[in-house]
Amino acid sequence: MVPLAVALAFLPLLLTLLLRCRHYLLLLLRAVLLPWLRDRLGGASREQRAFRYLLAHAVPGDPRHILSTFDQWSYRREHLSCVGPDKGKLVERLLRERAPRAVLELGTYCGYGAVLMAAALPPGARLYTVEPDPRHAAVAEKVIRLAGFDEQKVELIVGPSAEVIPRLRERHGLPKADFVFMDHGKRCYLRDLQLLEEHGLLAEGATVLADNVVFPGAPRFLRYAKSCGRYRCRVHRASLEYCRAIPDGVAELCYTGAR
Amino acid sequence: EKFEGALGKGKGKKFYAYKVMMTKKWMKFQRDFENFKTACIPWEMKIKEIESHFGSSVASYFIFLRWMYGINMILFGLTFGLVMVPEALMGKPYGSLPRKTVPRAEEASAMNFATLWDFSGFAQYSVLFYGYYNNQRTIGWLKFRMPLSYFLVGVGTIGYSFMIVIRTMARNANEDGGGDDTSFNFSWKMFTSWDYLIGNPETADNKFASITTSFKEAIVEEQESRKEENIHLTRFLRVLANFLALCTLAGSGYLIFFVVRRSQKFALEGLENYGWWERNEVNMVMSLLGMFCPTLFDVISSLENYHPRIALRWQLGRIFALFLGNLYTFIIALMDEINLKLEEEKIVKYNMTIWEASLYNGTIPENSTAPPIQVDPADVPRGPCWETMVGQEFVRLTVSDTMTTYITILIGDFLRAVFVRFFNYCWCWDLEYGFPSYSEFDISGNVLGLIFNQGMIWMGSFYAPCLPAINVFRLHTSMYLQCWAVMCCNVPQERVFKASRSNNFYMAMLLFILFLSTLPAVYTIVSIPPSFDCGPFSGKTRMFEVISETLEHDFPSWFGKVFGYASNPGLILPFILLMVLSIYYLNATSKSYKEANLELKKKLQSVRNKELLNFGFTNY
Repeated sequence: MVPLAVALAFLPLLLTLLLRCRHYLLLLLRAVLLPWLRDRLGGASREQRAFRYLLAHAVPGDPRHILSTFDQWSYRREHLSCVGPDKGKLVERLLRERAPRAVLELGTYCGYGAVLMAAALPPGARLYTVEPDPRHAAVAEKVIRLAGFDEQKVELIVGPSAEVIPRLRERHGLPKADFVFMDHGKRCYLRDLQLLEEHGLLAEGATVLADNVVFPGAPRFLRYAKSCGRYRCRVHRASLEYCRAIPDGVAELCYTGAR
Repeated sequence: EKFEGALGKGKGKKFYAYKVMMTKKWMKFQRDFENFKTACIPWEMKIKEIESHFGSSVASYFIFLRWMYGINMILFGLTFGLVMVPEALMGKPYGSLPRKTVPRAEEASAMNFATLWDFSGFAQYSVLFYGYYNNQRTIGWLKFRMPLSYFLVGVGTIGYSFMIVIRTMARNANEDGGGDDTSFNFSWKMFTSWDYLIGNPETADNKFASITTSFKEAIVEEQESRKEENIHLTRFLRVLANFLALCTLAGSGYLIFFVVRRSQKFALEGLENYGWWERNEVNMVMSLLGMFCPTLFDVISSLENYHPRIALRWQLGRIFALFLGNLYTFIIALMDEINLKLEEEKIVKYNMTIWEASLYNGTIPENSTAPPIQVDPADVPRGPCWETMVGQEFVRLTVSDTMTTYITILIGDFLRAVFVRFFNYCWCWDLEYGFPSYSEFDISGNVLGLIFNQGMIWMGSFYAPCLPAINVFRLHTSMYLQCWAVMCCNVPQERVFKASRSNNFYMAMLLFILFLSTLPAVYTIVSIPPSFDCGPFSGKTRMFEVISETLEHDFPSWFGKVFGYASNPGLILPFILLMVLSIYYLNATSKSYKEANLELKKKLQSVRNKELLNFGFTNY
C-alpha cells in the first residue's frame, strides 16, 4: 500500500530512536528480561543468587568488602536495584555530616543500603529498616548479619511501610527519626512522607533522602516537597546505579517543620 | 531675571516662546512617533515573551522569520502588483485564447478539489502560472509592456534579494567586533555569560545551571589540554562518524534519485493510472528525509566528542549538504523532464500543422485570403508548457514541505506533550524528567528549513508568480503556529547559549543558497528556448530577447547603440577583471587593518600590564 521508498524514508527515524534510547533498552534487557528468564529456568530468585555469590566471595564482618562484592555482581552479572556505589558515596557523606541518632530506611531489598548506612553510623546510633516482602527480608537479614551488625545497630522490620510507620513509636521504640532514606516503591514516597509527618516521626531539621527521583521518577513527591513549605529541597544529580549513561538523582529534603 | 524662564526673556519674547513651545511639541511628536513605530513592528510582544521564557537564541529564530516575512512581502508586492494584477485586469480574459483555456479533455475534472490541490485544472490556467500570460507586446489602454515587466520583475526579485542580504550581513558584521577568544577565558565567562533578556524563573534556573556546567566544562578542558589524550581513538571515532554521515547522505541521495526515476516512469505511462502515493512520492520522500536525517546526524555526532559549538557547525554543515543534495537531485530530475517536454513540443508542432490542414479540408486552402475558421479555444491541441510544469513542481514541493512541517509540529511536539502530561500518572517511570519528556525547540533545523524554503521560492518564482504569495501566507501562519507551539509544548533548552555569533553564519548560508538558486533559473532563461504557445515569451528564440526588442521599439536609436557597445564581450571581460582585482585589493586592505588592530590591542594590553606592575611595586 505504502510505496517502498516512503517506508525506507522512515529508516533514519527508526535508527535514531534505537540509538537514542540504547541505554534504556540495554537496561531493560539486563534488569528485567534476563533475570526473569533466569528465574524461570533456575529455582532461586535473583536475590538468593546474589546472596550465594556474596557467601562465596565476600569477607564476613567487612562491610566495605561486602558492598564491593555486591557491586561486582551487579556490574558483571545481574542488575540489582540498590543504591549503587556512586549514590552510595553521596548518602554516606551526608550521613557522616549529619551524624543522626536514629535512622529509618524504607525499602531494604537486599540490604545494600542498610549495610552502607550502618557502616557510616556514629557509635550508639540505631538503624531501623522496613521491608514489605518477606523473601527479600530473609535475604537482607542474612546479609546484614554477615556484615557483622547485631540487633543493637540494625533492626529489620518486615511489613508494608503504610502499616509499620504508625506502629514505629509504640512497638519498636523509635521516638523521632533524624535521617530517613526512602528506596522502596516510587509511588509510596509521598504517602509515606505524609504518614511520617502525621505521626510526628520527623525530628526538627531531619534529613529525608529519596532515591531514584529522576529515573524512574517520583513527580508527585517532588512537587509536594517543593511546594508545601515544610522542606528545603535539593536534587543531587548522579547516574542510575550500575548504569553510567542514564541520569538519575537523589532528592535531599531538610525538614524545617513549619506549622 | 534668570529665574523667570523662557517666557520672561524680554524683547521678541513672544516669538522666542513660540519657538520653544514648537521645539518641545516637535520633540514630543518625535517620541510618540518612535513609540508608534515600535508598536507597529509586527509580533514584537510575542517575540519578547518567547525571549523571556526561552532565551535569546530561540527568539533569534523568530526574528529571522519576521525578517524573511518582510522580504517576501516585498517580493509578493512586486510579482502581484506588476505581473499578476496587470494581466488579470488588462489582459485578455479567460477563454479567449487557447493558452488561457482548460483543454476539452481536462474540462470534466478541472473544478475538482483534488485537481485544484494539485495545482492543475483551473488553477493551472490562471494568472498563477507562467503559461497563462500572452506574448502581446503591450496590453490595455496603459500600453503596459507585459513581457518586459515579467522579465524585469523576475530579475528584480533576485537583485533585490541579493542587495538586502548583503546589506544585512554588512550591518551584522559592524555590530559583531570585539571579544577576545583566546585570553581571559574565565573572565569573559564570569562577566558576560548572563542573558539579561530572561524574565522567567524556570529559564533563569536553566541558564544558571548551564553557566555552571560551562564553567565545569571549561575547567575540564583546561585540565585535558594539559594532559595527553588518546588521540588515536578520538581520531578513529571521528573518521567513523564522518563515514557514517557520508553513508547516510549517499543513501538519501540514492533514494531520491531512485524515486525521481520512478516518477518519470509514471509520467511516461500517464499519471491517471496511479494513486495519490505514487503521484506525491518525490515530495513525500524529500520532506521525510529532510525531517529525519538531521536527528540521525545529531546522534552520530555524539561519537565525535567535539566542543558543542564545533559540533553545531559540523551538524549544520551536514544538514546543509543533505538539503543541497536533495535540492539538486530534484533539479536534475526537472531538467530531464524539461528535455522530455521539449522533444514532445516538436511532435506537437508537427501534429498541429496536420490538424490545421484537416480544418481547412472543407474549403480550398488559400494561404492568406481565406478567413480563419472559428475554433473553440478549448479544442486547440496544446504544446506541453515546460515552464508551467516547472512552476507547478515548485509549488507542489513548497506546499508539501509546509504540510510536513505543520504535521511534524502537531505530532512531534503537541501530541508528544499531551502524551507526556496525561500518561505520566499511569506510567512506570517519570515521563517528564526522563525519556521522552517535552521536546526542545530545534533552532538550527528550523533555520535551515526556512533558508532552503526561501531558496525554492527564489528558484521557482520566475515560473510561478504565485509562489511569493503562497510563501507569505505560509510564513504568516507559520509564525502564529510556531509561537503557539513553542509556548505550549516546548521546554527551555538545557544548554542555553547565545546566538549572536551565529547570526552572520546563517546570513552567509542564505547568501550562498540565493546564489545557488539563481543558477538554475538563469541557466533555463539563457539556454532553453521558451515554449511556442504559452507564456509571455512565446515565439521568441530566447527569453532575454525581450530586452533587445524593447530597446528597438521603445528607446531612441542612440540608446540602443550605446547599449550594444556596452554589452560587447570585449568591454565586459575587462570590467569583470577590474572588479576581481578591486575585490582582491579591498580584501588585502581589510586584512592589514585587522592586523593593525590586533597590534594596537596587544600594545594596549602590555601598557596596562606595565601600569599594574608599577602600581603593585609602588604599593609594596
